[in-house]
Amino acid sequence: MRVRVLIPLLVIVLYGVVPFALAGNNYVMSILVAALIIAGVALAWALLGNLGGMVSFGHAAFFGVGSYISAIVTMKLGVPVFAAMLLGGAGAAVAAVAVLPALRLSGPYFALAVLAYAHIFKILATEFTTITGGAGGILGIPTLPRVLGYDFGSKVGGYLVIVTIVLLFALVYARIRNSYYGYALRAMHDSEDATRVVGVHSTLLKALMLFLSAFMTGVVGAFNAHCINFLEPDYAFSSGWTMLPVVAAIFGGYRTLTGPLVGAVVVYTVDQLVFKSLIPSGHQIIFGVLLGVMILFAPDGLIPLLAKKLQWVRQPRGCRDPRTESVC
Amino acid sequence: MLRLDAITVQFGGLTAVKGVSLSIGAQEVVGLVGPNGAGKTTLFNAISGLVRPTAGRASFEEADILKAPMYKRARMGIGRTFQIPQPMHELTVRQNLLVAQRFGAGRVDEAKVDEILSFLHLSDKADRDAATELSLSELKALEVGKALATDPRLLLLDEVLAGLETASKRSFMKTLTELHARYRISILIIEHDIETISNLCPRVCVLNYGQLIADGTPQEVFSDPEVIRSYTGGGHD
Ligand SMILES: Nc1ncnc2c1ncn2[C@@H]1O[C@H](COP(=O)(O)OP(=O)(O)O)[C@@H](O)[C@H]1O
Ligand SMILES: [Mg+2]
Repeated sequence: MRVRVLIPLLVIVLYGVVPFALAGNNYVMSILVAALIIAGVALAWALLGNLGGMVSFGHAAFFGVGSYISAIVTMKLGVPVFAAMLLGGAGAAVAAVAVLPALRLSGPYFALAVLAYAHIFKILATEFTTITGGAGGILGIPTLPRVLGYDFGSKVGGYLVIVTIVLLFALVYARIRNSYYGYALRAMHDSEDATRVVGVHSTLLKALMLFLSAFMTGVVGAFNAHCINFLEPDYAFSSGWTMLPVVAAIFGGYRTLTGPLVGAVVVYTVDQLVFKSLIPSGHQIIFGVLLGVMILFAPDGLIPLLAKKLQWVRQPRGCRDPRTESVC
Repeated sequence: MLRLDAITVQFGGLTAVKGVSLSIGAQEVVGLVGPNGAGKTTLFNAISGLVRPTAGRASFEEADILKAPMYKRARMGIGRTFQIPQPMHELTVRQNLLVAQRFGAGRVDEAKVDEILSFLHLSDKADRDAATELSLSELKALEVGKALATDPRLLLLDEVLAGLETASKRSFMKTLTELHARYRISILIIEHDIETISNLCPRVCVLNYGQLIADGTPQEVFSDPEVIRSYTGGGHD
């Protein structure tokens, strides 16, 4: 009921109001685009974390692979940018094949294994100089194109593209979550055997979530590459591409759909406007500390925790229905 | 339909199941008894794919099953319950059955799910959270329900009656008898209580220290001196 009103409203604001209201303000627009990039990765990360039940510390690998592939196929093969972004996503999904053996590992072991993979990919990008340009990087990556007279290479154009990507991802995520696959995936967290015994191919489902998450992250990485027109391994595979989305997703609540999105916008904006002015270099250390604190005190996220507390204050006791307490 | 041939399961140095050969026919109801630690659950695990036997062969409806992973055996028509109920978390009772049906039977038939729910007296709990809002007897009924939803032709029931009060036990026994009549499936049921098993099963198999020591009618089996010795001498709870 509420959702039916909220979603059209959100769409009107995102497509009708924001681009016009902020069109003149390039600085705010850049921050918004960057925040949405984090949001896209955060959503992809949360999809794997929430539905796949796997916490990854290595999404920078998929981000980097997506950005490099998209940059290279546009520049060396002349593939149109939007098609190349999809190829970037596909490439990241292919790269995820290397991570498949880690699917057997549980919890922290999986997280660390993926971290190691991310590192390997960074090294590969540095060493394969003929294709990637090595440590020197790639310059002059094509911007987003002009389509039917509209220049997506402009700030507002880029914003419209990334907003659309993030909304499509959210839609896909929601569809999966409410399907039988989503049910089975959620049930798997507690006991994989309980699902396998009724015929669920649990390993395959987890692998599919990994591929999808990698694909989504790769597409966002590709978008970023065409936005900033420059890549080098240290940047494309920077642990920041894992760190910020993880903080955002956990801050907003990675078990919900809106959590990672809201979390990303808040976290990134606060980082850029506040932390960066407090500690100009190394400001991301604050997130390391925050992340540790949040995992200890509010593992399901800060926003769900606040929502719970507020609900408790507002509602008389006895009215709380345990079934509606899980958000979204 | 189920054929076990010299199945042996070892855990390190411990032999939990030792050379068990056993055949179960279509629509047969067979009781599996034996003291605690005799290897009954392990035998179920071997049949359903949770553990890999060290030696032996097993086929279901003429197909070799030992190489098939657990989820495939469920899809082939082998349904089972867990001794300690394992409801699928974060889902309602109805969703538990729907997931089992969607993946185990390969299609969704909500009418059949409703039928199973009402059959197991779970209709008014259908929209409750399966993991947190059910009593023990309801959890056991849900175990049976999930297995039934996969359209099994063989149902392995691991102590579904144990731990229930007399009244719910009696009602559950009646349900099991009706279940067999209605769905016309084979049932292999683990149960400690001699009276219960004698009422339910025309045929009883006895495991002791992993070995099959008797197989026959309840009268034959429970008058067998070796079975009596295992029952009185064995370490059961
Ligand atoms: N996964 C396992 N690892 C090691 N030992 C096991 C395992 N499962 C069962 N066992 C051992 O195998 C023996 C048989 O256990 P079980 O099949 O559960 O007996 P029952 O169901 O007849 O009570 C016991 O000694 C038990 O400790
Ligand atoms: Mg047992």
